[in-house]
Amino acid sequence: MNQDIHIPALARVEGEGALTIRLKDGAINEILLNIYEPPRFFEGFLHGRFFQDVPDITARICGICPVAYQMSSVQALEAAMQVTISPEVRQLRQLLYCAEYIESHALHIYFLQAPDLVNQESALSLAAEAPELVKQGLRLKKIGNDLLKTIGGRSVHPVNTCVGGFYRWPDEQAIHGLVPELEWARQASIDTVKWAATLNYPDFEQDYEFVALNRIDDYAIYDGYILSSNGKRITPQEFEQHYRETHVERSNALHSHTADNGTYFVGPLARLNLNYKKLRQIAKETAREIGLKIPLRNPYKGLLARAIELVHTCDLAIELANAYHPQGPSHVEFDIQPGEGCGVSEAPRGLLYHRYIVDEQGMIRFARITPPTAQNFAQMEADLWALAPSVINQPQEEASLSFEHLLRSYDPCISCATHFLKLHIDAA
Amino acid sequence: MNQLPDDARDETSGIIKIIGIGQSLRGDDAAGLAAVRFWQERYQANIERPYLQVELAELPGIGLLNLLIGTSIAILVDAVHSNSKPGTIHLLSNDQLEAFTGGAGSAHGWGVAETLSLGEKLMPSSMPEKIILIGIEAGNLSLGESLSPQVELALPEVARLIEQLANRV
Repeated sequence: MNQDIHIPALARVEGEGALTIRLKDGAINEILLNIYEPPRFFEGFLHGRFFQDVPDITARICGICPVAYQMSSVQALEAAMQVTISPEVRQLRQLLYCAEYIESHALHIYFLQAPDLVNQESALSLAAEAPELVKQGLRLKKIGNDLLKTIGGRSVHPVNTCVGGFYRWPDEQAIHGLVPELEWARQASIDTVKWAATLNYPDFEQDYEFVALNRIDDYAIYDGYILSSNGKRITPQEFEQHYRETHVERSNALHSHTADNGTYFVGPLARLNLNYKKLRQIAKETAREIGLKIPLRNPYKGLLARAIELVHTCDLAIELANAYHPQGPSHVEFDIQPGEGCGVSEAPRGLLYHRYIVDEQGMIRFARITPPTAQNFAQMEADLWALAPSVINQPQEEASLSFEHLLRSYDPCISCATHFLKLHIDAA
Repeated sequence: MNQLPDDARDETSGIIKIIGIGQSLRGDDAAGLAAVRFWQERYQANIERPYLQVELAELPGIGLLNLLIGTSIAILVDAVHSNSKPGTIHLLSNDQLEAFTGGAGSAHGWGVAETLSLGEKLMPSSMPEKIILIGIEAGNLSLGESLSPQVELALPEVARLIEQLANRV
């Protein structure tokens, strides 16, 4: 490359973002990842709202991971008002989270990242080359959305979650009726792992600090402690002391660092590396079959980690769906009380932290939302710098693609983008 | 229907589906959702039309395909951007799909145009016989829940158009 690279709108990432790479005297002088995400807007938007509106409002931040926003927000609000949910509610929330993992991981694996790894321009061209593969991805995604709809009432933005539980129990027969498709999905996920193992990943490894939720008893997605690969394990309440957000002028999104100003990496690689032993047996067996070596330090292999998590979540979803026999109230009754609380869960893209202050009337007085992509920004930029020396001698277009591929491997969720169609109308 | 059939249309043929699309927190981006709601209130209440189905899909992305399978005619109502005056109504059918360009304006990398192309490629026989897009030119796309006045004014006309299309069969 001998010219600056400017990608005004990154394709196949969740939302809007731009990347500019400037050269000076033949060397890379500046790397700017410009993100138009407006997290502060949502925090301001929630201010003065009734607490029970929060799960549905925050769900609209993203069309791909609405459940994550609901799960972190209800847990934060339940902590603020000292509400204890029933074990049945917890299990149904886990099942709802499985639905989101299935649809979100299927989307990223097959439609967003895979085309890069098989030298296709997009999933459209991949569909022409390997229609059965893309159909498999589509069917997997649909199963996730169907489960989401059965529990949450709608396939994109579920509306059944509330502070204290669910507004109503989903139909038992409808949930059980999804088991055969989930069984198909589990097998398709195993096939996905085997296919993912054959892909040609760029040779790029870094020494990351991985951060993910952690539980002693299972592979943490819905809740847990916060574990770092440096050994530090903290409670959700301690999160803001250890991981800090700073404003970066060129971007609407905040960038996160550790307290000692280091970068860190959240998401499927972090979860898999830190919690591998907690995976369900069938996911571990599949990983063993392809000879997976932990830890994975190659960000492109996030696809492989997602595929293994697909096996895990399909298997878990089957167990939870079979065990679903709703009894008693779907949500607990409680008195509104002022308080402060935080909630953390693992969105498909990584750790999602929420903190709220609620007043005597149940109105939100303060909101903080730290999404996974904001936490990864600093690491993404560091990776772009690390990749640059090997890319700078490539032809312009190839260099540009290499940077894009790296960014897409992170599955960045640059949320709340507009989605409108651009129409080109000929004067004729 | 959980599988994605690409064989001949089945008994669901005859279904007309009206699909509102939009991000409800981004100003005029919600125009499609608002128009479908407007139509529901003005025309759909108290009328029994079993062949009509309505979806407020918000940001369906690639999931739009699942909403299309098994319908004969799909009427998509969505905000568009073509440098016309805000509130301008565009009516396009699937043979005019080249007029759509996806990409930058499209969250999640999957806009309506790409999704429809994918459907045509993967399962042409399961796609609706006819897809009609009612595009409403967006003006203000900043964060917030309200529509701009020009878009608001266009809603009755869009609703009338939906009703006309829904009755044509």
